[in-house]
Amino acid sequence: MGGTQTVTGDCALIEVSHLDKVYSVGDDKVTVLQNINLTVRAGEFVSIMGPSGSGKSTLMHILGCLDVPSRGQYQLHGQAVESLTPWELAHIRNQEVGFVFQNFYLLPRMTALRNVELPMVYAGISPVDRRRRASELLHQMGLSDRFQHRPNTLSGGQKQRVAIARALANNPSVLLADEPTGALDTKTGEEIMGMFQALNQGGVTVVVITHDAKVAHYARRTVHLLDGKIVGEEDLR
Amino acid sequence: MSFTEMWLAAASSLRASPLRTFLTMLGIWIGVASIIIIVAMGQGGQKAVISTIASTRLQNTIQILPQEIVEPGLPQPGQVLSFQTSDLQLAQQFSGVASVSYSLYGQATVGYHSHTLNASVQAGPAYLNDLAHFTVISGHMFTSTDVLAHRQVALVSQSLAGQLFGHESPIGRVILVGGYPLQVIGETISSQFDLMSRFLGSNYLYLPSTTCRDLFPWWGISEMDVQVSPGASVGQVSQRLVTALNIHAHNAQAFEDASGLWLGLEQTVRKVSTILTLTIGSVAGIALLVGGIGVMNIMLVSVTERTQEIGIRMSLGATRRAVLLQFLTEAVMITTGGGLLGVVLGVGASASIRWFTGFPASVSWQAAGVGFLFSMVIGVACGLYPANKAARLNPIDALRYE
Repeated sequence: MGGTQTVTGDCALIEVSHLDKVYSVGDDKVTVLQNINLTVRAGEFVSIMGPSGSGKSTLMHILGCLDVPSRGQYQLHGQAVESLTPWELAHIRNQEVGFVFQNFYLLPRMTALRNVELPMVYAGISPVDRRRRASELLHQMGLSDRFQHRPNTLSGGQKQRVAIARALANNPSVLLADEPTGALDTKTGEEIMGMFQALNQGGVTVVVITHDAKVAHYARRTVHLLDGKIVGEEDLR
Repeated sequence: MSFTEMWLAAASSLRASPLRTFLTMLGIWIGVASIIIIVAMGQGGQKAVISTIASTRLQNTIQILPQEIVEPGLPQPGQVLSFQTSDLQLAQQFSGVASVSYSLYGQATVGYHSHTLNASVQAGPAYLNDLAHFTVISGHMFTSTDVLAHRQVALVSQSLAGQLFGHESPIGRVILVGGYPLQVIGETISSQFDLMSRFLGSNYLYLPSTTCRDLFPWWGISEMDVQVSPGASVGQVSQRLVTALNIHAHNAQAFEDASGLWLGLEQTVRKVSTILTLTIGSVAGIALLVGGIGVMNIMLVSVTERTQEIGIRMSLGATRRAVLLQFLTEAVMITTGGGLLGVVLGVGASASIRWFTGFPASVSWQAAGVGFLFSMVIGVACGLYPANKAARLNPIDALRYE
């Protein structure tokens, strides 16, 4: 993929060991994740599957450095995340992680182009360079004629493609997708998953979180999560 | 994120809700404008009062007045109220004195055909227009010869002329003053903004001092105007002359040089009007403060409304600092915009007041500058809390906020 960072070899990109996440609700403590051990190598396409309430979203938030673990270690691209400051976490979210959400989470008042530019704004890239890169990415996503459209004038599939372009803006080490097809019809969902597959074949590491076995099947490896624990793993191809 | 980009981003987000932005600005706008207007009115009023009391200090001229003691207006036993002819003669012979003239003030009835009106009479030397601050708009001022010759001539103020003669020219008409006929030789207007006209009316009649003495011999001479000979020191002549006049009157406190009196009065007026301006100005400051609280309130609402946007931005790598600056920039932009509009409105309103009412409102650029700077400071002060609240949000909570 044009300029996207490709990490070759077997080096572990994501390495989670003995990770717990506990929330305090009043006096009660709710354990959401318990003793998670997970390794994702660069260039892999992994799906994390589980029913709702299994803790998969929490795991994704931790993997994406939006949240921090209560116990255990998490190394992303060689950096121990649990000891980072909020500023460093923001920097990692900006540089290492690209998020794709179920509800797209595009900024409604901005055009598609501006939305894709946003991560590069925070990375301090010059307006000219980031405009060029954003156009390039939207072009790749087949949205050449939608640059100046605002999200409310785009279809669900188009919105998700803008979101993917935005996630790729800073050449992240890993693309994290949380139910990326959840708000889409079946056909569009298949298109979007095909897109992730193509990206992965181009060298991008992809982690998809889903409750849908059909979606999980696009990945080469599926990790099953239930009640906050990893209960199984299968290699599909 | 560069400075320009931050401002552009803030501007686009403020444009998204123009009415709200406008209403929030309004508080700052009115606050800054009222500070500028109040200071302009205060300073203008001060100038007007001072120029009224501190009569143009004519070069080489000493104004001597009977000294007012204790309570102005209430004569004290032994107080000298006016000059005697012998006082004038004494001054006339004084060394260093070139010439002596005198002024009188009073009220008189002015008649023309069937009209009779009351007017304030001011009588004095040929340079009375400088002492009493008026400009001749038609006809001419009486001359020194007119004064010496006791000529029965008079000048009338525009408003008096209007009431006596309607639209016709007053020049050459004969009016009756105290029963004597006087020929009108000129029409005048006040040469400065006349504060007193509101209270005393603006019907003025100007006469040569000698003529006035003939008409009203019982009026006291209330002011002596002494021209100092070239080369003599005004200060010295004034001091010696006042002493001599006091000795002549057998009263150590009979007379005084008016310049000291004016100076004291001027200081008092300055002090009073400064205190007034500060007091009213601080009320306007409170308006600005209330405007600032409005900004804070709206920014808090905005942070709550845009919680999810903040979460999305954080997920894309926005640091706390970036979020803080985003909201702070918006707050400062609102107040700075309000401040700028306030300066425009304040300066415009002050100019209009000057134009339409003639009140010499004078815009103080310091007040405009301070008002504008203060609006920026309010933006920072009132934006800081909401912006900090936004920056401290937990990314996850913000993202999932509905």
